[in-house]
Amino acid sequence: MGVAGIVTETIPKILDPLPGGRHLVNGIEFIVGWARANSLWPLVYGTACCAMEMMATGASRHDWARFGVEVARATPRQADLIVLAGTIVEKMGNNLVTLYQQMPGPKYVIAMGSCSISGGPFYYDSYSIVRGGDRLIPVDVYVPGCPPRPEALLYGIMHLQKLIRKEGRHNPWKVKEFETPPCIDIHSNSKKEWVEIETQKQAGMTTARERFKAENPDYVPYKAVRRPKDKFPEVPRRPVVQSGLANQDIYAIVHEVFPEVKQVKQENTDAENDKKLTSETLLEFAVTKDHYLSLLTLLKTHATLQMDLLLQVTAIDQHDFFHILVHLLSTRHGHKIFVRCPVAGEQPEIETLSHLYRGAEWHEREVYDLFGIIFRGHPDLRRLFLKEDFPGHPLRKNFKDPSRIVKRPY
Amino acid sequence: MEINHLQAPPGFTDTAAAEATTEEYYLNMGPQHPGTHGVLRLVLRLDGENVQEVVPHLGYVHRAIEKMAENQTYLQNIHLTDRLDYLSSFMNNLGLCMAIEKGLGIGVPERGEYIRVMLCELQRIQSHLLWWGVLGMDMGAVTAFLYGFKEREMITDIFEEVCGNRLTMNFFRPGGSSADVPDTFLPRVATVIERLKRALDEYQTLLTDNIIFQERTRGIGVLSREKALSYGCTGPVLRGSGVQYDGRKNNPYSIYERFDFEVPVGQGGDSFDRYLVRMEEMAQSIKIVQQAMETFPTGPYRSKEFSKYRIPTGSYFSQVETARGLLGIYMVADGTAKPYRLKYRSPSFSNLSAINEMAVGYKIADLITIISTLDLVIPDIDR
Ligand code: SF4
Repeated sequence: MGVAGIVTETIPKILDPLPGGRHLVNGIEFIVGWARANSLWPLVYGTACCAMEMMATGASRHDWARFGVEVARATPRQADLIVLAGTIVEKMGNNLVTLYQQMPGPKYVIAMGSCSISGGPFYYDSYSIVRGGDRLIPVDVYVPGCPPRPEALLYGIMHLQKLIRKEGRHNPWKVKEFETPPCIDIHSNSKKEWVEIETQKQAGMTTARERFKAENPDYVPYKAVRRPKDKFPEVPRRPVVQSGLANQDIYAIVHEVFPEVKQVKQENTDAENDKKLTSETLLEFAVTKDHYLSLLTLLKTHATLQMDLLLQVTAIDQHDFFHILVHLLSTRHGHKIFVRCPVAGEQPEIETLSHLYRGAEWHEREVYDLFGIIFRGHPDLRRLFLKEDFPGHPLRKNFKDPSRIVKRPY
Repeated sequence: MEINHLQAPPGFTDTAAAEATTEEYYLNMGPQHPGTHGVLRLVLRLDGENVQEVVPHLGYVHRAIEKMAENQTYLQNIHLTDRLDYLSSFMNNLGLCMAIEKGLGIGVPERGEYIRVMLCELQRIQSHLLWWGVLGMDMGAVTAFLYGFKEREMITDIFEEVCGNRLTMNFFRPGGSSADVPDTFLPRVATVIERLKRALDEYQTLLTDNIIFQERTRGIGVLSREKALSYGCTGPVLRGSGVQYDGRKNNPYSIYERFDFEVPVGQGGDSFDRYLVRMEEMAQSIKIVQQAMETFPTGPYRSKEFSKYRIPTGSYFSQVETARGLLGIYMVADGTAKPYRLKYRSPSFSNLSAINEMAVGYKIADLITIISTLDLVIPDIDR
């Protein structure tokens, strides 16, 4: 219960029956509320973009120290306010609840930004988001915005202070301790919930509209005047500045060693052979699984090409098979090469590149995580982003998880 | 995941050496830790205070942006790029817009290009200012944080005037930008540039010349040239290790080839080199903005608008040099209004993957400095 509990519960119980004790208790409560409201210690908890605005609120221009929110604490054990600044994803959920439970009471939560209010821009189609911080911990003040301006956060803090000052015996707003998260299953049929909320909202809107019409019979609704669209001229595209070896030369070098390697046919450029390769063409080699590793070894070790930097390894789901896409760059010359290799099957497999480029290790883990493609010989093939027990591989086109994903209705 | 402090958690290559005289142990750091810039989580193998191995765990802010992209039109996707690397949101917008322009063959008028370059360079300065302040704070110099933010807010004001937002801009469109810059834009930029020049000198005396600061960064977190290339590092991290690669110089996009600027390169690849590269980059960005101000043209800021952006089947790639490194956007179109696949190659992802090479052998306090000089933005890594 702590000192605060003694002040707000035990002492009032003793003093209340005494003559004039009521006023004494009120006075004590007033002082306690005033002190609490003006000495909030926030926890350093920023997950995404909103954290920048939180930092700006704390920095030189806006300076939240003026409101007593001064000492940002790195440990929850010394803090009494969490500003949920940023997106909360499933993997972070448990950590947030733990942080909250480690804070000594009385404790307060401000949800800053639409992400921590409802999921915000990631509400639809995202498979990893927690749609609102209040599904995990109780939230006191919501500050809307994406991101909210520092002034908005300051306003939220001032509002919280107002609430804290009011709290007390007659208004036991925060006296009860929070024990279990209000929402254990964070997904809990998001879809159904959305439909419910939407139906409720629509019903409310209809009645409100009718009432408004009845009350204001001669109301003429505002009609938007369509602003004439600015007329912009058509501008010709400037030619790309070619850097490094010309696409044709690279093609010739590769074709000499691997005659069967072809440029990926692209409708927009219709380049099928080396003659039509221009600087606008994306140089993309289609290679089979057998030549995948040897082609990449050649590209890396070739003295003229010097593809020394691996930019990415990724995959594209083509419905019945996957394309592995490797993207190389030569930092010396500036030319880029893409290599595409088809892999098929329920558990597609391909060789790892991590012995050629160390950086491939994480890229391949990402592909394994999101597409479920196995890389043979990879030193440490684990999921990279998602939890170990996440069902399925979300970037596959046939991935469906109605409990996690809310489909965009428009 | 439970961490037993004596048992190897997943991801570690070798466990404690048998002949070691001291007992090694495992320590969890993050995801809620002020030194990790958000929600990065590291598991360390330690010998006393010395770091023996670092295993990062990602995904604490994985928001599925690439999956969402497949269900939104091209224009709707622009606002999601803001949220990748929110400190380079103009540059991210530019990357996606350039990919769309490639697909549809849209050209950009002169004024549009100038607006783009100026805003991008101002944002590079803004991003580096924040990094500078936070670096100071991570090393215990809170004053730097307040100084860095003071100048940063001035640039933010310009952005706010131009596009109405302070952080998530959503401003560029295929063929230009969504609005013209106001008349006050150039005078305001001129004042801020003057202020910034003085500020950079101030920073020199405040942090760069500070002996404590130098002691804590010189020779710390060395990343060799070969390692940096092998891990796919880009941006100031790669340049700090001595590789002269800058997307603006080596693969010029927009109108960068018209401006005269230098690409600063470090010698040894330690934290101090990365620091100097970024400081010099700010000066170079100021140079670019000044040149652009002199020749800022009039005319339309945007080319013809389409009613629907349907990109013909094929794959398109565009790259921009953000404040953190090379952002690549690989787009597979299938002729509809929505991308078939949109892959962001984010710079921080690769830069972080080299952390183990940099941190081994140094103290935990140095690890914080190293993370700070990498200038990580976690949502950019997790996407
Ligand atoms: S509300 Fe907007 S600015 Fe804030 S974390 Fe979410 S996406 Fe970023």
